[in-house]
Amino acid sequence: MKQVKNNIRRVCIFLCILFVLLAVYGGYSITVNGNRWFSSGANTFVRSKKKDVIAGNILDRNGNFLAFNDVQTTAEGTKTTRLYHQDAAVRRAMVHVVGDREGNVNNGVESFMASSLYGFQMSLVERFSCFMRGVQRTGDNVHLTLDSRLCAMASGLFPQGKAGALVVMNYETGEMLAEISLPQYDPMNITWQAKSDPQKPFYNRAVQGLYAPGSTFKIITAASAFENYADAATRAWQCTGQLQVGDRFVTDAGTDLAAGKIVSHGQLTLQRAFQVSCNNTFAQIALSIGDQKLKKTAESFGFNDNFLFRDVVVENSAYPRENRTEREVAWTGVGQSTLTATPLHMCMVAAAVANDGVMMEPYTVMRTQAADGRQRTEAESRVYRTAMKPETAQVLKGYMRSVVQTGTGTAAQIAGVKVCGKTGSAEVDTQENTNAWFVGFLDEPAHPYAISVVVEDAGGGGSVAAPIARQVFQWMLNNGY
Amino acid sequence: MTDKKNKRRRITPGRAMVSTVMLFFFLAFFLLFLKDFNWQSLMLALAVPVIVLFGSVGISKLFPADTLLLSLTNFLCALGVLVLYRLSPERGLTQAVNYGIGVAAMIGCTLLIRYMPSFRFVNWAFMLGSVALLALPLVIGTEKNGANSWISFGGRSFQPSEIVKLALLISLAHMLSKRKVIVPMGFAAVCVLILAVQNDFGTALLYFGTALVLGYAATGSVLLVGAGAGGAAAAVVLGNMIIPQKFARAMSRVNVWLNPWQDVQGAGYQIVQGLIAMANGGLWGVGLGAGNATVIPEHYNDFIFAVIVNEFGMIFGLIVVAMYALIMIRGIMIARNARGVFHALLATGCAAMLALQVFVIIGGNIKLIPLTGITLPFISYGGTSLVSSLCIIGLMQGVAARNAAGVNEDRELAMQGGGWR
Repeated sequence: MKQVKNNIRRVCIFLCILFVLLAVYGGYSITVNGNRWFSSGANTFVRSKKKDVIAGNILDRNGNFLAFNDVQTTAEGTKTTRLYHQDAAVRRAMVHVVGDREGNVNNGVESFMASSLYGFQMSLVERFSCFMRGVQRTGDNVHLTLDSRLCAMASGLFPQGKAGALVVMNYETGEMLAEISLPQYDPMNITWQAKSDPQKPFYNRAVQGLYAPGSTFKIITAASAFENYADAATRAWQCTGQLQVGDRFVTDAGTDLAAGKIVSHGQLTLQRAFQVSCNNTFAQIALSIGDQKLKKTAESFGFNDNFLFRDVVVENSAYPRENRTEREVAWTGVGQSTLTATPLHMCMVAAAVANDGVMMEPYTVMRTQAADGRQRTEAESRVYRTAMKPETAQVLKGYMRSVVQTGTGTAAQIAGVKVCGKTGSAEVDTQENTNAWFVGFLDEPAHPYAISVVVEDAGGGGSVAAPIARQVFQWMLNNGY
Repeated sequence: MTDKKNKRRRITPGRAMVSTVMLFFFLAFFLLFLKDFNWQSLMLALAVPVIVLFGSVGISKLFPADTLLLSLTNFLCALGVLVLYRLSPERGLTQAVNYGIGVAAMIGCTLLIRYMPSFRFVNWAFMLGSVALLALPLVIGTEKNGANSWISFGGRSFQPSEIVKLALLISLAHMLSKRKVIVPMGFAAVCVLILAVQNDFGTALLYFGTALVLGYAATGSVLLVGAGAGGAAAAVVLGNMIIPQKFARAMSRVNVWLNPWQDVQGAGYQIVQGLIAMANGGLWGVGLGAGNATVIPEHYNDFIFAVIVNEFGMIFGLIVVAMYALIMIRGIMIARNARGVFHALLATGCAAMLALQVFVIIGGNIKLIPLTGITLPFISYGGTSLVSSLCIIGLMQGVAARNAAGVNEDRELAMQGGGWR
């Protein structure tokens, strides 16, 4: 009998654990995912409430109206039309961030911030007061951290007809100043062409586009070398132009084995290899560090993590876990293999180097305000994670500076300003040209901005993406940033 | 309780809860009345608190019963009536009638356990009857939501598995208390198999879990639990080889659970709409009558928890979970005070069955585990489910009543100068 009662006590503990699991998971998932579920396109509740509430406005950091309402009072009653910025170029540049009336863009502010825009954040007192006064409720205004003029200007810098993305963020705070994706479309005039375009203009490449990071990933491979080798800075590497891994070769850009043309860098240090973006050296580094340690460094930069940022929904970046042959590991060190990352995430990687190894959480909503101007919420910057030691960041900063000074990224130079960066030319099997990458930042305490540029199917990062970064930084410096 | 002359009412936790609960339901139904001025709502605003009062305090006047357990149960039942009435008045009224029937059945079960000296002579009848009842839908059954475990009877349909639950609990507790292991576990395995064949995986899981918990409580053998789990795994593997198309169905459920957002308009629709309904509710809920959780398929049944969170908020939802936990803990306390192994096991089985049922369905709602269609005890729409859940409480109350009577016997014996028997 006594034994049975002891067993019953254990049963009770087991059942209690089940209940605790329910409570903890229930509370956790609703706080973490609640807003993502709420803003889902499948939520008919929001749609049904849109009829009763006048949506709030969406403004950029300078107070320009990106989305607003045209309320017309006629004999039959009031009719509300959602309008977007009057300038078509601005409208098109901001469409992926803001969203449109039809909800074509995933997680645009129009849908992701629906709980603010449609007044779900209003208190009972406010709702009751509106009800008593007989006025239609107006949702909260959402102020973004983005600069719509910057976005529109940057959209014009891309080569005609090329798809791509660009992100600018403040690396000290994490606020995003620009987030654009090309091709774009006009939310005021959504055409049949836009819907059937094979380049998929509804797709927000800045946060949804999973690209091979190419040579920009060498920042992480180099960081891994520093975390794992005390003498990483002084060790000498030998580039023969063709590194045999298994029965295949890792080669550098310009090498054509069939034609007998081999580009080789000879003996070089890590800094020089980084400057000239030597695939051979970085493949050797990846092989000698090993897959597990490289993966650990990549994960400390946020690869394989489930990104749950407060108002930016980003696809997760992946460090490959399957089919890890020597050849794959070698190519991973160079940023190819099956590695994937979004332009925003690579911007965060550059930002972490600039910010002494600390990666800030990106955000786009600066504050929300009630219709009468009262402040509802105000964003504060949060640390996402510490990616590397400050000393490593310091050295990498120097490396990235030298890339722009004398390496592959000279096209990003601005006189009198310390521009740092890393180029990338990522190969994609289905494309004729490489994807052009540039990630970088201004090493100036007064101008703490990081950038990431991707131009699809366009050629070398140094010749296509770096000039775009230069022009964006130049514009920002000229316009008081 | 000690001094019957002392008529001054002490405020016990049970009493305080009953009055709060009565006020809650009066206000809730009155709110619904203000919405459309339907006299039925007003009637329920008066009737439901009275039923709650009778169900909680009235019964404990009839024989020594656990007031806290009663008031918790009654709150949950009345909450079910409220939510169902708000979703669809006809269902709410049907549920209210079933609630009344359930309370009567609960009293019946209490008396059965209180006064039945032994189940020795009915045990075999219980077992044979259970298997026959469970197998009946295979012969004359109707299919509902993919599960072929329903019987239609005079225009109404019910699930035999809900009634068999009670027989299963009594039989298992009886045989295990007699130190038999093979027969009761075999009996449970047959029941689980029949349910699995009928595609009623939720109930099968529930029976399986309860049998294992009871087996463990009686024997204390981890080996038994391991053997049970191993047997289930072997059955799954074997079944996969014999009837693969059926297991493909089960696997598709697991895939929906892993990522319901892949097919928002198709396979994942129900669970996604459930999650969205909960997200719409947030912490404090959208308010009684203001939600639109009716978009969820089976919102009145499997997804009633999502509806509650939608209208009352997650905090309220967690309080409901806590109430089930309290019911379970109360049941375990009754079991630990029991004066015989049979009654201890019976109360444990009741507590475990309710707890597991809550875990399986709420866990399915919040996407903690794959969704299997079973009812949320006391709240979900459905006569058989409500009555059988109340009967399970009745069994617990019977053990509690026996405990109280036993204590009195001891006291009388002690007064007469007798020692321990």
